[in-house]
Order: sequence, then C-alpha cells, then structure tokens
Amino acid sequence: MRKSWLSDYIVKRIIYSIIIAWGILTITFILVRVGPNSPADKYLANIAARGGDPAQVTAAVEARYGLDKPIYVQYFNYMGNLFRGNLGWSFSTSMPVSELIKTHWIYSFQLIFLSSLFAAFLGILIGIYSAVKQYTKTDYAFTFLSFIGISIPNFWLGIMLILIFSVKFGLFKTYYDTTLPLFSLDNLKALVLPVITLGTGMLAGYVRYTRSAMLDNLKKAFVTTARAKGLPERTVIGKHVFRNALLPLVTIIMFDLGSIVFGGAYLTEIIFGIPGLGQISFNAIFANDYPVVVAVTLIGTFMVLLVNLATDISYTYLDPRIRYG
Amino acid sequence: MVETSGDIVKGVGRCMPNRTRLINYYWQRTRRNKLAVFGLAFIIFLIALAAIGPLFTLDPTEANFEETNMPPVRFTIEQSVYNIETDDFTTTKISGTWKHPLGTDSKGRDMLAMIVSGARVSLLVGLIATGIAIILGTIIGVVSAYLGGWVDNALMRFTDVMMTFPFFLLLVLIVFIFGPSLAFIVLAIGLTGWTGIARLIRSESLSLRTREFVVAAKALGASDNRVVFRHLIPNVISLIIIMATLSIPGVILAEAALSFIGLGDPTVPSWGIILESGQHTLETAWWVAVEPGIMLFLTVLAFNFLGDGLRDAFDPKSNV
Repeated sequence: MRKSWLSDYIVKRIIYSIIIAWGILTITFILVRVGPNSPADKYLANIAARGGDPAQVTAAVEARYGLDKPIYVQYFNYMGNLFRGNLGWSFSTSMPVSELIKTHWIYSFQLIFLSSLFAAFLGILIGIYSAVKQYTKTDYAFTFLSFIGISIPNFWLGIMLILIFSVKFGLFKTYYDTTLPLFSLDNLKALVLPVITLGTGMLAGYVRYTRSAMLDNLKKAFVTTARAKGLPERTVIGKHVFRNALLPLVTIIMFDLGSIVFGGAYLTEIIFGIPGLGQISFNAIFANDYPVVVAVTLIGTFMVLLVNLATDISYTYLDPRIRYG
Repeated sequence: MVETSGDIVKGVGRCMPNRTRLINYYWQRTRRNKLAVFGLAFIIFLIALAAIGPLFTLDPTEANFEETNMPPVRFTIEQSVYNIETDDFTTTKISGTWKHPLGTDSKGRDMLAMIVSGARVSLLVGLIATGIAIILGTIIGVVSAYLGGWVDNALMRFTDVMMTFPFFLLLVLIVFIFGPSLAFIVLAIGLTGWTGIARLIRSESLSLRTREFVVAAKALGASDNRVVFRHLIPNVISLIIIMATLSIPGVILAEAALSFIGLGDPTVPSWGIILESGQHTLETAWWVAVEPGIMLFLTVLAFNFLGDGLRDAFDPKSNV
C-alpha cells in the first residue's frame, strides 16, 4: 500500500513541475515579445550610417528570426527550439548559446557549491551552539553578528574585501585568474574572497534558522524523555534535537538557493570577474545580446524548479511522518 | 471602592480595539527592543535626510575637475599629479576639507550631496515598490482564500510559477527588456515581489475565514465586500506591516544591485550607481565605494531591526 501512494505522489509532483515549467516558458515568451526591442535594432544604426533603408533591414532581420510569422507560430517555434535544447544564437560571441553555457557553467557551479558548503557547515554549527547556550553572551554576540551578516549588501562586502585584502594588504589578486586549473589549490585560494562574499549572507541566515529550529525542538517532550533516560547531552542534542530540526532547515536552504544564491552569485561573479553564467549575462546586457540574457534567467529558474522537485521527493523518504493524499 | 472600579474600567479599556490605545500598546512593546528603536530612529533620520537634505547640500551632478578625488575630512592621501613644466610626476598630499565633508569622486562631484540624493532614490524605490507588492499580494491572497475553487487554484499556480523565478534574475531580464527608467524599475520590483506576501496572506485568511466572528458576520447577512474589508483585512494588517518592513530592505538592495550592474536609471544618482563607479577607483579613491555601501548597510540593518522588533511586539505569544 505504502509504495503505491508514494509513487502516485511522485508522478503527480513531476506532472505539476512540467506545468510550472510551461508557465515559466510562457511568461518569458510574453515578456520578450511585449518588450520594445527588436533583434533588428542592433543592425539599424549600422545600416543607417551607410545610407541603407531601415525598413528593409528590419523586414529582413525579422524574417530571419521568424518574427514576421503569426504570434502563435512564433510561440510554437520558441517552445520547439527550447525543447530540442536550442537556446538561440549569441551574436556578440558568435556561437550557439548552449555552447557558451557549456563552457561557463562550471565557474558558477564551483562558486555556488563552495559557498553553500561553507555557509551550511559553519551556519549550522554556530546555530546549534547558539541554541544550546541560549541567552549567554556568545549567543547574543552570534545573534547580533548574524543580523549584520544578513543586512550587509553582498556586492558591497565583495568590494570591501577586495579593498582590504587585495588593495591594502595584497594577499589576493583583485581579479579571478581564469587560467588556473579548476581542481588546484591556487584556484581554491582565488575563490576565498568570492566564497566569503556570497556565503556570508547565507551563513547568517542559516545561523538564525538553525538556532530557532533547535530552540523549537529543545522544548519538546521527547527531549525530556531522552534526558530522563540518562542519555549523554551530546546524544540528546545531536541525535534527537538536531535530527528533528534538520528538515525545516533543508527546506529553507533549498528555498534560499532560488531567492538569494543565484542573484548573489550573479553579482559576485561580476565583482571578481569570474567567468560564470552571471558574467556572460552581464556582458550580454551591454552587447544587447538577447538570447544569452534570456537563457541565463531560464537556466536559473529551471535549476530552482528541479531542486524544489528533488527536495519534495526526498522528503517522502526522509520524513515518514509526511503523508500526501 | 471607586478606585477598584476605575481599575476595572481601565482593564476593559485595554482590551477594547480602540485604535490609538492599540497603537500605544504595540509601541510600548516595540520600545522595549532597543535595536528596533535604533532602527526606527535611523529610518526617521533617513526620511528627514531625503526630504530636506538636498536643500542644504551642493549640486550632486555638478562636476568640478579642480577638486577631483578629495578624501573625506580628517583623511589625507597622497596623489601623483603630472606636472607639465617639469615633465614629471609630483606627489602631493591632499587633505579633506569641510567644503566636501565626505570627499569628492573622480569627477569632483560632492560625495555628501550624492549620498543625500541617493537616499531619496533608495527610500522612494523601497517604499513605493513595497507598497505595490503589498497591495498586489494582499489582494491576490485574500481573493484566493475567500473565493477558493478554480480562482484560488489558478492564482496559486501563477504564484508558484512566479516564485520559481529567482527574484534578481527575473528583475534583470525585465529591466533589460523594457529599459532602465526609475519608474519602470520600481514597477518591475513591485510586480515581481508580491508572491511571498500573497501566500502568507492567503494562508492567514484561510484560517480566519472559518473563525466564529467571520461566520457570524456572514450569518448576519454581511456582504462579501464587508467581510473582506471589515473582518479579513483588519486582522491581517499586523502581518502586512511586518512583511512590509521586512521586504523594504530587499527592495532597496535590489535597486542598488541593478544600478550596480548598469541596469539603473543613469539620470538618477542612486547608491548603487555611486558604488559601481567607486569600484573602479578603489586604489585612488576608496571612499567613493565605501560611503554609499555604509549607508545601504545601515538602512537595511535598520529595517531588519525594526521588522524583527515589530514581529515580536505583534506576536501575542512572545513576552518582550
């Protein structure tokens, strides 16, 4: 019995994700089509300078991009192209957008992965400590520091870190060195400041969430029972309280990925010159290279969608108390 | 016995939903949180600065190439200047003056004036965009909860779709497509930032909808409008105030970040734009990047402190 409702739930959840994906693509399509810009714009100035006829150019470019067709045909073409993994052509770098992303995603990934690791590990440790030592001076200090960590704008923090550690003390390079091999100590060193920049806000958030989740559970009856059984405090905190605090924490960490991390990584990459997806989108903005900007937003959104799906499905295994109708 | 009855009347008065007394009660609770009071004080200072500050400062847009890269008061820097007569670089010491208390940037513009006019931009963006998001979120949340059925379903699925977009990436896309004018940036932030509010208001309204006083109001023949505006919304207003206070910093940061990556309104000197220009002159004029960042940081901190204090004050379970 148990198996069947579980797989039913997973199937439902997957179908639901597909519907959301369709919504995301449709909204993006509408945004791009409603926008005042046309792909022809970037050629117009050039042509006009040479005395060409702007109307003719516009018509030619629009025919090339299929913009002269009825809107529903454009919509189906757009969906069809995306479905085949065709994200369009980046004219500012003269290559398919999918190629561009293939060469650059790893830089974003390493930054986000290391920052999340740093933030989650340290944040959870400090949060547990703060909760166990509630209302002590250290707890107050950590709570206050976490307020500061949440409030500090991460792009400003990055600039301050460069100013202090690179410009003043010369400990790090002011710019990320792209020639370094990915799996090397030098690369890790180059990522120290970016990881702190992106990780601080997350870290502060995790300290607060862990602390409050731990405090919620510390008051529960099963903790008293565990202590009454004579279990060592370490076991009570680690095995009983923390296990129960972990689940809401995972939800929040996953949610953060969408709301904070991608935006933060975008800015961090720009400040340190890390050639990740944020950086290529940033460059594309100035080159008015539409397909790249759209593709980066879509990739971020689909990552969130997949992570949400994975989190929900993993819950059914992690927490047997959860039942879905 | 007169005194006792007076006390009883006082006690009853405390429970009555008298507006000024209630505000007073919440103020008493908020006041106990020192950090929240600091936050409120800083926000009031900032509003005053934004409102009347520009009257007293220099013109923030006026460039002056005689006085570029002046450090703030009490700071001295060494600057290499090319001397045409000797065809050589001479190092001169430059100290900050009271004419430009916060120094000048690489175009000789007064930093204090730029910071003050930046405060105006940030506050306006923060308040208006949050206002739009709150109104939109409240309407969608209440309508969804109250009507239920397919309307609720459609609205919540739409909310899910909007929530899946990473906030900043969606903002970048929208501002990139429609062009960076300040009015549009405000609108874009407002139109994308309502999702969390809508969900919260919806779940709160759902639980309120089945409470006795709403059921009683309906039984007495109250119209839908009356139930929504007289019973549902007043009961979620504390939630709305907390959400608003806590979402303003995110909005201010979003505008600053957009300006920082060059998607800000180039005609308006916002903190993000100053910060961006300061990033390129870290080695010659560090203060240009430091000062707007400190203001941003303090503003965000102040709203976070206040929001946190308000949340505790409005929470009947917490004993502040």
